Amino acid sequence: MPAGRVLGVIWIALTVAALFNSEALVRAGEGMRPGPTRDIVLSVGRPIDDVAGAIGLHLPRDGLDLAFGQEEKTAPGTELERGSNAILRRNRQKDERQSFAQPTPGHPLRVLVTGDSQAEFLGQRLIDQSPPGLLEVETVARNGTGLTNPAFFNWEVNARQEVAARDLDAVVMAIGDNDGFNVQAPDGSLYNPGDPGWETELARRVAVVSSVLSSNGERPVYWVPPPTARDPKFNEIFAIQNRAVERATQAVPALRYVDVYSTLAKGRYSDELTIDGKRVLARQPDGIHFTREGAVAPVRLILDAMAEDFPALRGR
Amino acid sequence: MSFPTIEFAALFAVVFVLSWALMPHPSAWRPFILAASYFFYGWVDWRWVLLLIASSVVNTFASQVIARSPSQVARKRALVAAIVFDLGLLAVFKYLGFFVSELDEALDSIGLGSPLPLVQIVLPIGISFFTFQAITYVVDVYRGVTPAASLVEVAILQAFFPHIVAGPIVRANELLPQLRTPRDPRSVLAGPAIFLIVGGIVKKTVVADELARRVVDPVYSDPSAHSASELLLAFYGFAAQIYCDFSGYTDMAIGLALLLGYQLPQNFNRPYLALSLREFWRRWHMTLSRWLRDYLYIPLGGNRGGRLRTYRNLMITMLLGGLWHGAAWTFVLWGGIHGAALSAERWARERFAGFRLPAWAAWLLTFHVVCVAWVFFRAPDLATAFDVLGGLGLGGPSPLVTLPLVLLVVASVAIQALPQGWWREAEAWLVARPVALQGLAAGAVIVVSDAALGQQGVAPFIYYQF
Repeated sequence: MPAGRVLGVIWIALTVAALFNSEALVRAGEGMRPGPTRDIVLSVGRPIDDVAGAIGLHLPRDGLDLAFGQEEKTAPGTELERGSNAILRRNRQKDERQSFAQPTPGHPLRVLVTGDSQAEFLGQRLIDQSPPGLLEVETVARNGTGLTNPAFFNWEVNARQEVAARDLDAVVMAIGDNDGFNVQAPDGSLYNPGDPGWETELARRVAVVSSVLSSNGERPVYWVPPPTARDPKFNEIFAIQNRAVERATQAVPALRYVDVYSTLAKGRYSDELTIDGKRVLARQPDGIHFTREGAVAPVRLILDAMAEDFPALRGR
Repeated sequence: MSFPTIEFAALFAVVFVLSWALMPHPSAWRPFILAASYFFYGWVDWRWVLLLIASSVVNTFASQVIARSPSQVARKRALVAAIVFDLGLLAVFKYLGFFVSELDEALDSIGLGSPLPLVQIVLPIGISFFTFQAITYVVDVYRGVTPAASLVEVAILQAFFPHIVAGPIVRANELLPQLRTPRDPRSVLAGPAIFLIVGGIVKKTVVADELARRVVDPVYSDPSAHSASELLLAFYGFAAQIYCDFSGYTDMAIGLALLLGYQLPQNFNRPYLALSLREFWRRWHMTLSRWLRDYLYIPLGGNRGGRLRTYRNLMITMLLGGLWHGAAWTFVLWGGIHGAALSAERWARERFAGFRLPAWAAWLLTFHVVCVAWVFFRAPDLATAFDVLGGLGLGGPSPLVTLPLVLLVVASVAIQALPQGWWREAEAWLVARPVALQGLAAGAVIVVSDAALGQQGVAPFIYYQF
């Protein structure tokens, strides 16, 4: 076949894919890091999506999503984007520690470990670090997601789906590595990382998502913001995120802050950690993510936090 | 950059046009395709391109010395230097951390403390592939199989974007002659190319990623929390996943190269139909198999030194083949299982000459040896691998075992038994349709594949990590 005709096939195929997948195209652009590629994808994708939506080309894809059992991970008008700071008001119930049903080998604690890519190894190691038979862990890592970009992945929507699909006793949420971007508060103000408003908006979003994950206090949520990073630029943002989570714990019943930022290696970044007397390479080459071996250290901090609510988990 | 992404689709659409436009002018086409390949490779980290360039420069220089020097000693030294450089790259970037950590542990276990620094090195993507490719080139020049090429040609041979990240491992005499002759824009092999690309997308998104997400990853994350039937589904499921993931990638690579006018070697030929391990390795990752055979097994002596030496050579070859995949004991054991099984098979063939297992039994045995070895390949550590194998006899509830997933596993194995003529007929039928219909069909498959993936997007190809 002549190359010209092949080019025709390629262009038609890509045009069909772009028209019928226009929502996915925009979402993919929303998920990219700020830069020219993202700008180009969005500037091309949004008009295509408008046209496709107007002439009903979303319908086939919606049908396919239904057939494949795919759930929508974004939605307009959620509290994450439209709610108010009232959710951050101090909650008096927080002063009293709730009590939860204790796990036994017959009734182990059903735990969901979720969040961004950091959640993967934490979930895996939580299983082998916990007392045998007392935890049933399911790990669902949503790579590349964060709280600052609900147009790409709305964690409030996802949290509702996750808790509705399972009968959970506790949730571990490890997230924040992809959140170094500006955020828009419900009143329309735009905040950059480092602005005081950024920390407040992030705390609000943590409060919204954790309220859903805990079903308003029915189960504890152990929130693990990022650890120290090799790059000081990330560290500034990660420190603010840790403060934001700590702030949200004042407002949301059953939300627990797990501080891996200032506790591991006394708050200093280190590629290696000593675990059980043995040095291990604790961080991946990106200087942020834990390795499988290194994830044992934050997992033990998570288990310590869990043991406050579930004393049976003590003495592992 | 990964194939099934928006960025790559945009890049390829541009490269396709410019490549054919520049094809009649080799002096312009070569720098262009090299630049496009470096752009593709350096998308994640441009510094890796420098490593690739260094590899091309060193191997070109060595091959020129080999080709021009009248002295056999000088030729041999140049060959050894190039191989040491190539293996040195692999040793530093891929194995140094592993060996330092193992040595440190060994010293600690005999009471000498833990004196070595733990090494943290980023693994450049595709390094195992482009170094093996470089070795084939210098060795082939030394053997006189291929003439020495210019720096630009060697650089394209190594970096040509359809195959740089995960193969196929192309020999110089397969690609260089094609690079030297402008391709004919009137006869692009569009039928096979479109079939391979679209089929590769389906294999990756509809089968491999689906199996990984729904059963394989959850089971390997915590085998003890899963019943025997879930472990069994993950046991067979990973065999299906890795085949669809890796052959899907290779299909796309070969298809993309075909659209640009270049033919890359076949890498998979219905491997799960094999009736012996020897046959399996003639059908699975064929370009690696022949590399191991021609550049390791035969130089080690092959089957020329008697039975025991043959077994030894098989074991060494497969153990190193395992280690090539990754610096971990799980890969070594995977290679060891294959080496031992190949040796046992060879012994049985000689010991019981004239006796043949019925085809169904031979297939069953071969397939299950391969599946058991895959457990070690997939598991993050040996303990998890043994947990998976040890748990195959336990009962319990099995929510992960669903009919669609079982059918997906069965179909991905059974589809290999379809007569190959059917695919060729389908390709011929597709090419005979109008351009618009071909485009619509390809576009429709992309839409369905993306819907199957959902919002989590395409997972990285398994072989990207090697």
